[in-house]
Amino acid sequence: MKKSLFLVMMVSLLGFLAACGDDEPDLVVTSFTDELQEPIEYFEELHDVNVDLQIIPTENYVNTLRPALESGSGAPDVFTGEIVYLKDWVNQDYWEDLSQDPYNVDEWSDDYMEYVWDLGRDEEGSMRALSWQTTPGGIYYRRSIAEEVLGTDDPDEIGEMFDTVEGLLEVGEMMKEHDYRLFPDEGSIAPYTNGANPQPWVNENDELIMTDERMTYFDYAKTLRDEQYTALAPAWSPAWFASFTGPISYNVGWDELDEDEEQTDETEVFAVSLPTWGLHSVLEVEAQETAGDWAVTNGPTPYFEGGTWIGMYKDSENHELAFEFIQMLVNDEEFLTEWVSETGDVLSYYPVMDEIGEDYSNDFLGGQNHYDFFMERAEEIDASHVTAYDQTIEELFGTQVGAYVEGDATQEEALAEFYSRVTNAYPDLVIPDELEEEVADELEEFEESGDLEEEPVE
Amino acid sequence: MKNNDRKAYLFIAPFVIVFLVFNLYPIFLTFYYSLTNYSGMGGIDNADFIGIDNYVRLVTDRYFYQAFFNTIRIWGFNFLVQMFIALGLALLFSDIRLKLKGVSLFRALFYLPNIITIASVALLFSILLDWNHGGLNQMLLSLGVINQPINWLNDPLYAQGAVALIGAWMWFGNSFIVLMAGISGISRDYYEAALIDGANWFQSFKYITLPQLKPILLYVLITSIIGGLQLFDLPMLLTDGQGSPQGALNTMVLYLYNQAFRYNNFGYGATLAYGLFFITVIFSAVTFRTMYRKES
Repeated sequence: MKKSLFLVMMVSLLGFLAACGDDEPDLVVTSFTDELQEPIEYFEELHDVNVDLQIIPTENYVNTLRPALESGSGAPDVFTGEIVYLKDWVNQDYWEDLSQDPYNVDEWSDDYMEYVWDLGRDEEGSMRALSWQTTPGGIYYRRSIAEEVLGTDDPDEIGEMFDTVEGLLEVGEMMKEHDYRLFPDEGSIAPYTNGANPQPWVNENDELIMTDERMTYFDYAKTLRDEQYTALAPAWSPAWFASFTGPISYNVGWDELDEDEEQTDETEVFAVSLPTWGLHSVLEVEAQETAGDWAVTNGPTPYFEGGTWIGMYKDSENHELAFEFIQMLVNDEEFLTEWVSETGDVLSYYPVMDEIGEDYSNDFLGGQNHYDFFMERAEEIDASHVTAYDQTIEELFGTQVGAYVEGDATQEEALAEFYSRVTNAYPDLVIPDELEEEVADELEEFEESGDLEEEPVE
Repeated sequence: MKNNDRKAYLFIAPFVIVFLVFNLYPIFLTFYYSLTNYSGMGGIDNADFIGIDNYVRLVTDRYFYQAFFNTIRIWGFNFLVQMFIALGLALLFSDIRLKLKGVSLFRALFYLPNIITIASVALLFSILLDWNHGGLNQMLLSLGVINQPINWLNDPLYAQGAVALIGAWMWFGNSFIVLMAGISGISRDYYEAALIDGANWFQSFKYITLPQLKPILLYVLITSIIGGLQLFDLPMLLTDGQGSPQGALNTMVLYLYNQAFRYNNFGYGATLAYGLFFITVIFSAVTFRTMYRKES
């Protein structure tokens, strides 16, 4: 009896193993979203192959995939990378060099948005990963509120008002007078605080760069909070999403409320800073109730956020097919035209964008041609100051600005804590204070040596 | 006889092999990592051997001390509340005079918070505790308890308290079950004899329940310490995952995680793991000794 049970188990186990081996995929693609599902189906049909898409959630993506890339066991043929760790990965020898024969992707370079193209290169200038998209940011706003408060809903006219941070704050004041809030939260102003002096966070000598422009984030964020230009709905919180569809609760100044009966405990948010993908993956999904009432315009300075790059694993045995797939995704006009019309993604590939951008109107944005707008904004982006540290350092900085805005720390305390946390995270970095100390030490040494020389030698 | 002995090795072999490969080897490898500046990238060969530098950094690292005291504070408060509720309920439900009904139903109900995924719990409470839009503030405001919304998750004390209380809410059912089992294991003869002798409720609790329950209490305490020192998921998910507000939710394991996986300081992360290991050992040893001091 027991033996027969054992036999049944063995047979079913073997059957299971055999079934696993049966549909061995021709190509394995790993990514952190299901975004590539449709391109893969398209590709499978086109080449009559079997492609396996493995999705690892964003939070675990790096820590799960990296060991596989390091050891080579279980590594995919093709995998994507986000801007957050792109700079790290292009220099790690994970992705195959696409500049070399037989790929020679540099030949395509004229057709692509320059900054997107350059970010995929390693330190030697070889292309490791390509991206089909470009992700400049803008300020999305509600047309009806603009009409009511500013007397116009025209993106160009409002863009002129938003041309400086001061202009933005002026609009904030006007919004407040009409019981609206300019932004959901203080972080919305962060992309514009680098001002006219964009610098990398860390330079080639591993020194942390703090500029006067960066410091303005403290003041602007404080102004936004103190003047009540924001609705206290932090990015990605439920309240933030709710702010796109209508009034949200607003409690600050509860004391004043009792005195002023006309004020309500609700407020409506006018605008939000989001990149290209914010339109199709945030607003169009979350704000169907207000569809058609939106438009997008420029903020004080150009910026970009996010972006997915794709390349093939250097030791993959399917380089030929892998490259076919990447080529389709970034360089196939027919496919990309279809992709754009389905997703609304803004591409880094000019031939398709030029054709579509010529005559396009987006219903969600009240008929605005956002392709035109974003392609123009993308031209102004300078990605030369992107470093591998950006994400972490910006988070640490934002946290300290938050502490200052909440009144938990003075600006000096917040800045000191920021430096302390940066050195804690990256012990090799030199922070500005240490720089000053070093300079001071050198001066002291110089003076001392000067003194010595003056002393008579006995 | 000897033959039988050898066969026994065969039977424990699966565990021993798995333990050696997946537990002991990583423990030693982690120790080696802790002596390097390994970044987790490009293989261990790329890292430099830096001796005890990481351990020197550990004992002078104020964020580590901050993390240690945060963890202890949160765990301590959590444990007190949790034990108070669990022990109280266990006594109530096991009282021979009261003879409460529906123990198994309540046992299931109390245990329920424990089976909710911690991510859902964190999301639920971050919505409830939201400063401006959250349910708790709305409720307190409309009841007139407060006249200004309280920024729960931005105040170090409230944030730590919230984590401790959420932990207590999640785990008191578990402790309740263990304590109930312990109390049911105590012979009823003691209580009946005490009842005849005229002992009151508190006396039978102090002289019968508590001494008899000691091994169980020790078990609950030690598992709670070990679990409490590893506090990670709630602080990670409730705020920004880096210890906000003002480092109040920076716990030891969260700090280890951030150093190793967010900042790519694998070497120092390994050092932190050893620091945590020694702290856990010391705490368990101290607990064990104090609990059994009188007997020995």
